[in-house]
Amino acid sequence: MSYAFDWSSIPRAWPFLADGMAVTAVLLAVGMTLGIAFGTVLAVVRIYAPRPIALLAAGYVNFFRSVPLILTIFWVFFLVPPLLRTVTANPYLSASPIWSALAAFVLAEAAYYCEIVRAGIGSVGPGQMRATQALGLSRIQALRYVIVPQALRNMAPSLANQTVSLLKDTPLVYVVSLTDFLGAAAAIGNRDGRIVELYVFAAVVYLALCSLGTWLADLLQARSRRRMAAQ
Amino acid sequence: MIVLDNVRKWYGTTPVLNGCSARIAAGETTVICGPSGSGKSTLLRCINALESIQQGSISVDGVEVTAPKTDLCALRARVGMVFQSFELFPHLSVIENLALAQIKVLRRARTAARDRALALLDRVGLAAHAEKYPLQLSGGQQQRVAIARALAMDPRYMLFDEPTSALDPEMVGEVLAVMRQLAMDGMTMVIVTHEMEFARQVAHRMIFMDQGQITADCGKQAFFDPAQQSERIRAFLGGMAQRRITP
Amino acid sequence: MNYDWSWRFLFGPSLTGEGSYVVMLMHGFGWTILISLTAWLIALAFGIALGVARTLPRGVLRRFATLYVHLFRNTPLLVQLFLWYFVLPEWLPKAWGDTLKSMNLVLNQVLTVLLCLSLYTAAKVAEHVRAGIASLPAGQYRAAQALGFGVIASYRHVVLPQAFRIALPPLTSELMNVFKNSAVAMTIGLMELTGTSRQVSEFSGHPFEAFAFATLGYMLIALVAARVMRVIEARSRISGATQT
Repeated sequence: MSYAFDWSSIPRAWPFLADGMAVTAVLLAVGMTLGIAFGTVLAVVRIYAPRPIALLAAGYVNFFRSVPLILTIFWVFFLVPPLLRTVTANPYLSASPIWSALAAFVLAEAAYYCEIVRAGIGSVGPGQMRATQALGLSRIQALRYVIVPQALRNMAPSLANQTVSLLKDTPLVYVVSLTDFLGAAAAIGNRDGRIVELYVFAAVVYLALCSLGTWLADLLQARSRRRMAAQ
Repeated sequence: MIVLDNVRKWYGTTPVLNGCSARIAAGETTVICGPSGSGKSTLLRCINALESIQQGSISVDGVEVTAPKTDLCALRARVGMVFQSFELFPHLSVIENLALAQIKVLRRARTAARDRALALLDRVGLAAHAEKYPLQLSGGQQQRVAIARALAMDPRYMLFDEPTSALDPEMVGEVLAVMRQLAMDGMTMVIVTHEMEFARQVAHRMIFMDQGQITADCGKQAFFDPAQQSERIRAFLGGMAQRRITP
Repeated sequence: MNYDWSWRFLFGPSLTGEGSYVVMLMHGFGWTILISLTAWLIALAFGIALGVARTLPRGVLRRFATLYVHLFRNTPLLVQLFLWYFVLPEWLPKAWGDTLKSMNLVLNQVLTVLLCLSLYTAAKVAEHVRAGIASLPAGQYRAAQALGFGVIASYRHVVLPQAFRIALPPLTSELMNVFKNSAVAMTIGLMELTGTSRQVSEFSGHPFEAFAFATLGYMLIALVAARVMRVIEARSRISGATQT
């Protein structure tokens, strides 16, 4: 290896990198919370709603699962500003790319979370629903107090894994020139002519964060396996 | 009173209930028996509308179960049900299992619900286990909790769907003892079971089902009297007795 | 919204002089299919080897496979692509790096994307294969050994044929992921379907039609892939086994 490393750019660029990391964190946090919330709604609709509405939800999920996230980001990026201008009747309004990116992540991730929640609800036996009905609980009450709490425990490992996938997808906002952590690292690398160091540094940071998430998922998995063994 | 009138049900094109009619009066203990696949459990589930029927009618205390306007939640709160596989909620403690529907359906205060739950747990001999989780209990204990959970709603009727079939033999007795006590207290019960000895002791009425039809509906003396039995029932009871002897 | 929706522009001559826009888009579609399928085949072969290695008794192979899968599953695909494209030439001996840099640009991009996508997907395939093997009852492997099969023969004739059938559904969604993941190629300038649609949207001023074209392309791919995998699943179903 003939390359001479020089890592000094990284500490000097720290504030800029931290700003990038903040964007990554916002994408992750919003994508996860709203994605899980919307995904849960989709899953409940897919399982319990009347057939035409359930099929609509299924169509939504299959659509977003077959299209690359980058393409979804483009769609939202080009669709949102004119839509906003029409709705607000303000021809000069423009939306910052962060809003488009957030919307794209929530829309797409909800489809993935939906499938996990659906499997989780499916993992709670049909007898449990029957038991709630026999006690006179309404369907909403049954979901809220009996089915979803159990489903959540069963699907916790998958949710953690999906959230790691979400983190791995966040750098894709590069395509709409939104400066997340990878974008910040690339910018510093190009400015200082230290691309190699900055990309390696970014890779190590992502590796550490994702490993943490994977480790958590494995922990949850082991715990749920122990609970199964206790049954 | 529960009134079944010419109840018919199909799964696809396969008939499962083939015109069942019966009346179950308050204070009676009725045992439904018959070979497996005869439609006993299905009939039981139709009584609290866990399964729909395609023809005929079912009413509980004059309320039409199948009418679209019927408040099913209110009806089901009045008809308690105990399942073969217990169906306790594994993520809730024993006392929370008993309190949940009292609070959410009957709108009882939390403390009142807990008091009622503790009293019932005491009655089934499990007061000491109130804070445990269902999966920490034995099968027999779980089924007694399930009975207490149904009783917590102060039901007028109790439906039992093969309550001892999933239990190890040494635990059957403790569950039957609780049910026997209930019968003596005058609870109206409809029980699907293969425990013929238990039926002989506590039943007032016996209903025998075969291929989706009620082929016998009589007092227990008549049912267990060899002179009055049909060939089919004699064969069934003979098979049951056989099963009891062979390990 | 005052948007002039029109499909007709697709057939007009493109600003790049490469014929009409529709020809450009079809080229992009072709690249997507070519790089995805090639990467899939490489990933399948390498991933199976890795997956098997992860189930072997402790040893160098198993440790390597475990480390590999961990590294490639826990870094973003885009970061991996940038490492291969921007960092690798700097790290290689100078002569090699210069060869890469002076190579035909498109060839360089295609090779980089293939390398990146295959290695990334291989880690995913390995996980599915490993999980498939792990879900088999241990008795199957022991029975094969009791019949006198060696390790390789046991895997080849007993373990893998069953593990594959279990792993087929997750492998199906992995195949679709390859097509979707291939869109990252546009970030280093390879004009596959998503990249082309972006380009067409800029040149023509008709972004929605361009993206709609690309979207339909991906949906068509997903549909065909699902159909093909379903046929394979049906053909390989074990008679008498319960469907899951």
